[in-house]
Amino acid sequence: MSKFVVKRLIAMIPVVLAVTFVVFTIMWFVPGDPTNIILGNEWSEAASAELKAELGLDQSFLVQFFRYATNLVQGDFGMSYITRAPVREQLMARFPNTLVVVAGAMLFCVCVGVPIGVYSGVRPYSLFSNFTMVAGLLGISFPIFWLGLLLILLFSVHLRWLPSSGLDGFASLILPSLALGSNYMANIMRIQRSSMLEVIRQDYIRTAKAKGVTARDVVVKHALQNSMMPTITVIGMDIGTLLGGVVLTETVFSIPGTGRLLVESINKRDTPTVLGCLVIMAVCIAISNLMVDIVYAYVDPRIKAQYGGGKD
Amino acid sequence: MDETVQKYTTRKGFFKQYKKKSRLQETWNRFLRNKLAVIGLFIFVFIILAAVAAPLIANYDTDAIRVNVPSRLQSPSAKHIFGTDELGRDIMARIVHGARISLVVGCAAIAVALFIGGALGAIAGYSGGKIDDVIMRCMDVFLCLPDVLLALAIVAAFGTNLVNLTIAIGLAFTPKFSRVVRSAVMTVRGVEYVEAARTIGATNTQIITNHVLINCFGPIMVQVTLYVASAILTIAAMSFIGLGIQAPIPEWGNMLASGRVYMRDHAYIVMAPGLAIFLTILSLNLLGDGLRDALDPRLK
Amino acid sequence: MEIKKINEQENTLEIKNLVIHYISDEEVVKAVNGVNIIIKAGKTLGLVGETGAGKTTTALSILNLVPEPQGKILSGEVLLQGRSVLSMSERELEVMRGDKVAMIFQDPMTSLNPVHTVGRQIAESIEIHRKVSKQQALKQAKEMLELVGIPSERSNEYPYQFSGGMKQRVDIAIALACSPDLLIADEPTTALDVTIQAQVLKLINELRQEYHMSMLMITHDLGIVAEVCDEVSIAYAGRIIEHGTLEDIFDHMRHPYTKGLFNALPDIGVKRSELKPIKGLMPDPTNLPSGCPFHPRCDYVMEVCSQSLPENKWLSETHCVECHLYKDTNESML
Repeated sequence: MSKFVVKRLIAMIPVVLAVTFVVFTIMWFVPGDPTNIILGNEWSEAASAELKAELGLDQSFLVQFFRYATNLVQGDFGMSYITRAPVREQLMARFPNTLVVVAGAMLFCVCVGVPIGVYSGVRPYSLFSNFTMVAGLLGISFPIFWLGLLLILLFSVHLRWLPSSGLDGFASLILPSLALGSNYMANIMRIQRSSMLEVIRQDYIRTAKAKGVTARDVVVKHALQNSMMPTITVIGMDIGTLLGGVVLTETVFSIPGTGRLLVESINKRDTPTVLGCLVIMAVCIAISNLMVDIVYAYVDPRIKAQYGGGKD
Repeated sequence: MDETVQKYTTRKGFFKQYKKKSRLQETWNRFLRNKLAVIGLFIFVFIILAAVAAPLIANYDTDAIRVNVPSRLQSPSAKHIFGTDELGRDIMARIVHGARISLVVGCAAIAVALFIGGALGAIAGYSGGKIDDVIMRCMDVFLCLPDVLLALAIVAAFGTNLVNLTIAIGLAFTPKFSRVVRSAVMTVRGVEYVEAARTIGATNTQIITNHVLINCFGPIMVQVTLYVASAILTIAAMSFIGLGIQAPIPEWGNMLASGRVYMRDHAYIVMAPGLAIFLTILSLNLLGDGLRDALDPRLK
Repeated sequence: MEIKKINEQENTLEIKNLVIHYISDEEVVKAVNGVNIIIKAGKTLGLVGETGAGKTTTALSILNLVPEPQGKILSGEVLLQGRSVLSMSERELEVMRGDKVAMIFQDPMTSLNPVHTVGRQIAESIEIHRKVSKQQALKQAKEMLELVGIPSERSNEYPYQFSGGMKQRVDIAIALACSPDLLIADEPTTALDVTIQAQVLKLINELRQEYHMSMLMITHDLGIVAEVCDEVSIAYAGRIIEHGTLEDIFDHMRHPYTKGLFNALPDIGVKRSELKPIKGLMPDPTNLPSGCPFHPRCDYVMEVCSQSLPENKWLSETHCVECHLYKDTNESML
């Protein structure tokens, strides 16, 4: 099993590099001369030429990419055009905040969404199930930035229960996690419900009942594990949705995270920082996909066997 | 022989019991039976009508664009159904004109994605083997980035005018479409009538156009509907953070962004645009789901 | 159809006038239309019929597992050792299932939970009904595996690691784990290769005799009936149209359908130029024919057949038939 994990970790590298290449290529087209931004008032022809040589900006495209990639693997994200400090510093300062919000949303959605999905799958014609379906539909259609604004209006402005911005203390995490997670949770609920419906109809559930297994145990011991596969897929793969949404969430709730850094850097034409943010997010998604595969192996013994984990 | 006996003992009699309705008719009937889908249809048609009739409802320049400071930040009233914004403009006028923008850009973006992604997916699915591998690996790389971020990157490089925005979002959805089309093509490819067509000498292009694409049509339409919803949401999101459609052009996302500052004392200013986005996406999702269920009915 | 009672205490299973329909928005499937069955203690009844005759639905009703909400038991009684199954509470049913009555299902490929080991699946039954520890239950489960001819070391393996025939053996082990009084076998060998069929059948037979179980053997294969059963009920369109001992049915068959079933078998001893299938098709359970359900396919059809349902007629102490041909028959005439 551990062999498999290592193999996949290594396989991740070319993927991340490929993504970096794509993003690098796109950002290559940003118009303007970086030296203008960096040097500002101190700009002169000579200084510009010197700076370009130093940063390698006068080299060809492939050389520049190669240089970037090699630095990247060593953890060097380059230098910000604006702050003239290593991009890594800014990322290290901001990324944990993003991580906290995303993790908060994920935890909330999984802990609440999965049980709801399970229950409405087991009782598909009940009021609860219909309510779940409607909530699910609304949830995936609700724009999270609007939801964020509405939550602020209700809980911060009107009720004054929760803060509307910043990130200090548990209370300030509640609204952003709720807003960010709404789409994600709706998806999880729907998938878990429909997966549960599928599984309940299977023959082996009938066998379990015929053995005299109690109704509760039929769901918890037999149906649940079998129904988790599609849900796990969504939980893992949809992290992209969360990362895309965190940009919006950080904007609405004024949280100093990677998302807002990305937007600011785009506005200021600070290409290295933009690249840094995007690469980090791509790495997150790649790691998340890997974790999904690992969890698969634990849930479904057939997959574990394929990975060569059978009798570890 | 007695008619009942005939019904059971001759092939013709047996099948006569099961009248064959046209597939389209059946699908449409199933769709109509789905209440949620019909609601979605109604809402969406309403939105389209509002967008089409926008110039009749409110004049673009005088009502939606022109600054009118004396009437700024007025609460909803008979004259201004949704109130006025911070620059005195009638919010309702901006909403209906914004509908045009959102719908047009959204559909155009998905058209781009369908064209490019569809072509790639069809080629990959139909050819199989190495070509399939190469194309799909390229697409997989793009799938590592969420659509919003990819679109942001493209916009960062190329600027935020309408055309670039459309292309950016179109490119962001291309990998997803290529996957959808590819799997639809692969499902149909194996079916017998493709083999049969091949045996009578139809060329690959003919097979693709006459048989494969026709049968993929349904599932692809479902995805188109759902992705248009996503595209409109992405436009609104990007405009919200300032990297999409810029002021003074009315777009629901940028209306939310500029109104946000005044939200505390003038809550209505963020209601109408948000509701517009929500209803558009909701109706499209209902439509897409309804289409999917109508095309492939399962016991719920 | 009525069967004469001999001694109620001796009957493991009694089904009276069972009617079960599947009701959906679009149609009503009349699966079971008045079925009567009696199985005496220690005896095996073969329930014979083609697919769609309502056999599986009848069997599921014994466990009260007819799929809801479409499946509705409209009338009738199911008595297991004198107790009414249909009026039991959920708790009582859970105690009864697996312990007093057990079922082997038709398709071994899908009846086992893919994410549990086979040992655990057998042990589960024992744990529930015998109040022993997990280890004890697992130990007994391994003994059951040996009993059905699977090495007990394999109890840690998952269903996907077994072939179809072996999965069916695991199903048998699960069913017999708590020595039920009634075993229901729903076409247990249909999904298996012919050579494996013989092995599994032999196994079932041996175990049945050793455990003194009553058995309901559902099948469409008359060969299996001949090997395993004491009595036979022939099912058609949700009714029992003929019933008798093995000898009654095989040597003195009366109903035209039963005759048709036997005639449709290729017989290597008789040189005929063609097979003789029964003409026509099984009736559509959403649209059953009027009167006797078999009349459209019957070679002996009379006018009364399309007008009314034939009554049950006892031709001997053990043999009865539902057919207008025998309405006025006396025992002495046969």
